[in-house]
Amino acid sequence: MALQTKASRHILPVNTAEPYLMHIDLNSCFTTIEQQANHLIRHKPVAVAAYTSGNGMVLAASYEAKALGIKLGVNVRQAKEICPEIIILMPDPPKYRAAYTRFKEVLLEYTSNVVPKSIDEFVIDFRGSPALRAGKTMEEIGHEIKQRLREHIGDYISVNVGIGPNRCLAKLAAGLHKPDGLDIINSTNLEATLASCELMDLPGINRRFKARLFAAGITNPLEMYQADPNYLKSFVFFSKLGYYWHSRLRGWEVDDVEWGRKTIGHQYALQDKTFDRGELCRILMKLSEKTGRRLRNNNYIAHGIHLSLHFTNNQYWQHGRKLDRALYATQDIYGAAAEMLLGIGQFPDNVSHMSVHVFNLQDKSPEQLGLFDDFQLHQRRLAEAADQVNDRYGEFTAVPAIMADMQKVVLDRIAFGSLRDMDDRLH
Amino acid sequence: MREVINREVSVVSYFSAKKRLSLPHIISWEGREYAVGKIGFHHTVRRGDTLHHIFELVDDQESLWMRINLDTSNLHWTLEAVSDGLAD
Repeated sequence: MALQTKASRHILPVNTAEPYLMHIDLNSCFTTIEQQANHLIRHKPVAVAAYTSGNGMVLAASYEAKALGIKLGVNVRQAKEICPEIIILMPDPPKYRAAYTRFKEVLLEYTSNVVPKSIDEFVIDFRGSPALRAGKTMEEIGHEIKQRLREHIGDYISVNVGIGPNRCLAKLAAGLHKPDGLDIINSTNLEATLASCELMDLPGINRRFKARLFAAGITNPLEMYQADPNYLKSFVFFSKLGYYWHSRLRGWEVDDVEWGRKTIGHQYALQDKTFDRGELCRILMKLSEKTGRRLRNNNYIAHGIHLSLHFTNNQYWQHGRKLDRALYATQDIYGAAAEMLLGIGQFPDNVSHMSVHVFNLQDKSPEQLGLFDDFQLHQRRLAEAADQVNDRYGEFTAVPAIMADMQKVVLDRIAFGSLRDMDDRLH
Repeated sequence: MREVINREVSVVSYFSAKKRLSLPHIISWEGREYAVGKIGFHHTVRRGDTLHHIFELVDDQESLWMRINLDTSNLHWTLEAVSDGLAD
């Protein structure tokens, strides 16, 4: 087969170093924390949904709910059709943040090389750690961490631990025996492990990549591992991703890159879909305020804005604009976004989702204001003063008049993925 | 079923200097006293500059879950929600 025989000189050797990377993820994070908090809902089907009403999307399902076929992304109505006894809860972000902090505290007892990947996932590099120097094996450390998490967060908490020579294989190992698994992938069991997995078990391989791999004659991870990197580049990924995947599957690290922040923004799924531009402007102001708070907390200014609308008929509209002027105060962001919103022609349907992002971020200081920028300076100081009031008396205490009486709209949420803002908030 | 209450309640709490723990012990609500059983989760949240301690617990009969909140600015307790652990 071409993929196995051509240009074998490009094939990397397998990394035979001892695996010192650990991937840990909390099983069904939000629902497990809810079940930890409430003994009466343990071992029952539970879902955390964006809203408890029928159209609310399920954000997390307990293992008991997953066993019935209730998965992330179904709505509450569908979940109740599958299981009328399912317990539906609204998210409680402060509680999840507290659990995340305790999770991280336990891991930091072992080493400072702890990288959060999301609210429920960490990667820990144990090379040179005191635990290893004390003679413990990675497997012993894994079991110890599981026990420490039960003591520090709660007795219902279970985690999947994966140990591997790189992040990708450590994550793959963590997914082998869910829930509460502990697996090690090393050079001796690598091929056997890959042979037992499906392509989509590999972190980062989605349906689209799977289809491409199948079209290129690669039907499982072992065949992908055996494939020549040039073949993966030229016939599957059409980019250097082919080399990256070849390296990953042979145990070499290619994912230890931390990308800088490029955008800050917020999105909102409207509970009551509408095309009323007055109402949309009010929501836009709240999104702008949340975006502005994060922008200012991180000491950035922005020189671009992006607005996107998703309609109930699944059509969408989006537009980004680079700006000469700097965005900093909430009013700046709202003004730029509202100009775009009000400039859209007729909407094809009710708006179901709206998002605002600012981009082209720069550090705020040192900044250079023009001689005639007094108004801009006043607006910035007003925004900073309002932030101080909100820090002291709670979010949305001092808000623009347009946001009056909309405390419950655009709720506190935890984003999937990046935790930069959350870590900033906790320290 | 989970029900939002949001009413101030009387709470007996104790502090153990040995364990360095301060925990609610008895909650009095609607003329009944509930002895605290297992505490599932305790966390803090800042609302403005006021720190709130939130305890989620079950009574010693394990028949009622309660979420109580201690406002550290005035040391008042609020019963935020109760649940019997069943679906709505």
